[in-house]
Amino acid sequence: MAKPVIMPKLGMTMETGTIIRWFKEEGEPVKAGEVLFEVMTDKINIEVESYETGILLKRYYEAEAVVPVNHVIAYIGEAGEQVPERPPEDAPSGEAGETKTASLSEGRPAEEPPAEGTPAEEGDSGGGKVRATPAARRLARERGVPLEQIRGSGERGRIHLADVEAYLEEHAVRATPLARKAAEAEGIDLRTVTGSGVHGKIMKQDVEAARAPAAPSAADEKMVKLEGMRKIIARRMSESAFTAPHVTLSTEADMTRVIELRESLLPIVEQQTGYRLSYTEVIVKAAAMCLRRHPQMRVQLQGEYIRYVQDVHVGLAIALEQGLIVPVIRHADQKGLAELTRECKTLASLARENKLTPDQITGGTFTVSNLGMYAVDMFTPIINQPESAILGVGRIAEKAVGLGGQIVLRPMITLSLSFDHRVIDGAPAAAFLTDLKRMLENPYELLI
Amino acid sequence: MKSYDLIIVGGGPGGYTSALRAAKLGLTVALVEKDHLGGTCLNRGCIPSKTLLYGARIVDMIGKGKLWGIEAGPPVIRFEQMRKRKDAVIQRLRSGIDMMLKAGKVDQYRGHGTVHPDLTVTVRIQGQDVAIRGKHVILATGSQPSLPPVPGLEQAEVHTSDTIFDIERLPESIVIVGGGVIGLEFADIFSTLGASVTVVEAVERILAAEDADAAKAVEKHLREKGVKFFTGAKVESMRRENGHKIVSVQTASGKAELAAEEILVAAGRRPNLSGLEGLGLRMNGPFVAVDEYLQTNIPNVYAVGDVTGGWQLAHVATAEGFRAVDNIAKKKEKMDYRVVPRCLYTSPEIASVGLSEQAARERGYDVKTATFPLAGIGKAVAVDEAGGFMKLIADRKYGEILGVVLVGPHVTEMIGEASAFMVLEGTVEEMARMIHPHPTISEIFFETADHWLKS
Repeated sequence: MAKPVIMPKLGMTMETGTIIRWFKEEGEPVKAGEVLFEVMTDKINIEVESYETGILLKRYYEAEAVVPVNHVIAYIGEAGEQVPERPPEDAPSGEAGETKTASLSEGRPAEEPPAEGTPAEEGDSGGGKVRATPAARRLARERGVPLEQIRGSGERGRIHLADVEAYLEEHAVRATPLARKAAEAEGIDLRTVTGSGVHGKIMKQDVEAARAPAAPSAADEKMVKLEGMRKIIARRMSESAFTAPHVTLSTEADMTRVIELRESLLPIVEQQTGYRLSYTEVIVKAAAMCLRRHPQMRVQLQGEYIRYVQDVHVGLAIALEQGLIVPVIRHADQKGLAELTRECKTLASLARENKLTPDQITGGTFTVSNLGMYAVDMFTPIINQPESAILGVGRIAEKAVGLGGQIVLRPMITLSLSFDHRVIDGAPAAAFLTDLKRMLENPYELLI
Repeated sequence: MKSYDLIIVGGGPGGYTSALRAAKLGLTVALVEKDHLGGTCLNRGCIPSKTLLYGARIVDMIGKGKLWGIEAGPPVIRFEQMRKRKDAVIQRLRSGIDMMLKAGKVDQYRGHGTVHPDLTVTVRIQGQDVAIRGKHVILATGSQPSLPPVPGLEQAEVHTSDTIFDIERLPESIVIVGGGVIGLEFADIFSTLGASVTVVEAVERILAAEDADAAKAVEKHLREKGVKFFTGAKVESMRRENGHKIVSVQTASGKAELAAEEILVAAGRRPNLSGLEGLGLRMNGPFVAVDEYLQTNIPNVYAVGDVTGGWQLAHVATAEGFRAVDNIAKKKEKMDYRVVPRCLYTSPEIASVGLSEQAARERGYDVKTATFPLAGIGKAVAVDEAGGFMKLIADRKYGEILGVVLVGPHVTEMIGEASAFMVLEGTVEEMARMIHPHPTISEIFFETADHWLKS
């Protein structure tokens, strides 16, 4: 019997995935463990392997399609087997979990328990089944709305017809007939167009403005489509920069003692882990310890609420050839420098090989971005939302400082702390930064 | 000195509407008007001409009664009563504006205003100068008929649209210099009321700014009423002789002398700049120059309506006034002239909106037009008004409606449908699909749209 291939849920917050490309054509044989397709979530691209061996009988979605998690996207079976012409649109019920057919390259199970407190899913332990009335299901199916995205107003979060209607009303694209035709002819997704008409109605001129710029004039200019990781970075950066009022504080810290500490620990850590301890790990450790002491810095704005995060998970910005990614070191405050070194180096190399799993890049409380290898002192980092603060680390450079009435040269580092002023005020941020400076100047505090 | 957020100079359709809008938005507003409220439109233009044109339509209806077997005999026209009716209409609308301004808390200064560069305005009220200061000023001083430099024009005691409404008696004959909108509406009025009318136009055809086919339809109808046309005709001189007024014209086919009881000159309008001389305004030809936001070269001084040239239509002045007020009180946006309806109230009426076929081609659209005759519309035949047509000018690419020309009865009311389609960006497909009531003249919309799609 043909087995369905479903859009895997690759992270707790993942609701939909975008198919980037298929590696198999319809009718082509597939072996279990072979890479079947690549999917993009709002955070990462990932290649998904087949769980089944057989013939790829049917693909329901092509590249660029956005598909809700757990939806059937293809069938694998024996040649000549009959499969539905259209995808079964209901989210699979409990037993669908047993027919899971795809896993991550790393072999993680495709299914995860539903996120706690997600309204559409709450109150049902049956493997992420969405509770909805038949009428609501039918309308959602007809209009192509993933039920997972709808907040149910009924008992135990059950989705009623009115909820689907309200969702459709709220998410309806309002555009003039002329704008719709222009968008269709130009292949522009109206959902991406900002309307200038009354109540944001999309007019023809808005579609024209959204159209890709004309061909470049100079012959050696090139136009590269904004896609994949670049697209994710572009969207997340502008979202953060344009929604969170950023304030950046900076201070200098004397790194004399950190340098001494590192030199004395370097051989020990290397012997234990095979990796060389770098300043990054010391700074991550110091930042994590300060975060533990400053709960005001561990906040996240969630709608009308401020979430106080208990765990200190520190993200570390890693530059890649084609972009940037932020793997997360969990419980960084509870880990020693050897363990931190091993974890930082491992995550960095996974990042460079494009092998990070979605959960290795989510759940951070705070991010450290180190540009110390360049001739950069100070910068204004952009917060990695939903986090509310980020530390920019500059180079260590000898600078003249006043010390006891004398001008002396000291290895100084500049720390830049950007924070989201909606949820963190200047004074607590300044206190945090002061604490961090003191800790770096007296790194033996790290032992406490 | 009393200070205002906004002083508006001119109480016509550009000025009084802006004053009401600004007051509603919470600005303190002063309105300066030296004459009657309502401007040219209400007192010497749109409204009196429509009142007289309706009289002409009644005469037409009485004549048409014969087709239905209704005979009323030749109508007796008491011109004095027609004038009284016109004056009553004007009076009623003027007091309506006055009431709205009072209710809207707009301070009125009734006298000639002089605008100074420091944005003070001195108003001459009953021999006294009253000075007021504004943070912003909107110039809405309008225009007046201009008289071409023709020898003998003064001695001939010509009328303009400013004076013709108040003539004592209906002239037996009249020469109208100018074959534009104003000239032709008067040609319709006077010819229908029984005068012998001659229209003299300098360019080769009447209604040079309108669609040629539409102009032809109106010309045909006026010719049937006995109106004579001299086009491509230059007025060389005027004189009075034996109680008659004589216009000498030069045409391609030679000279002609046209004698009539009255002469009406309707050959363009010039801006009212009195009181604005000291401002140092940058000009655009004879008119006040404004940018796309309706700002003059003087900071915080805007200008709207006829004084800026442009369309010289009351509804455009109003729209510009609203835009200028919003630019002062709210967000700055450019004035949008894409959808300006134009109306001619002759019989048949002409109404058009958007681009002409030629203008659309010049702008690089892939233009396709469709024309549908009123003769194919049941209601038009039933009421014996089947002489007109609709022309739809649209872009092939998306069926974008670029312009519409309508000729026929009540089309000045119907042009709103075409405007709405353009403003709301409906296309030819929606126009063809929309249900129109039957039987109505408005069915011509979907008929023409359907024709466009199929051709």
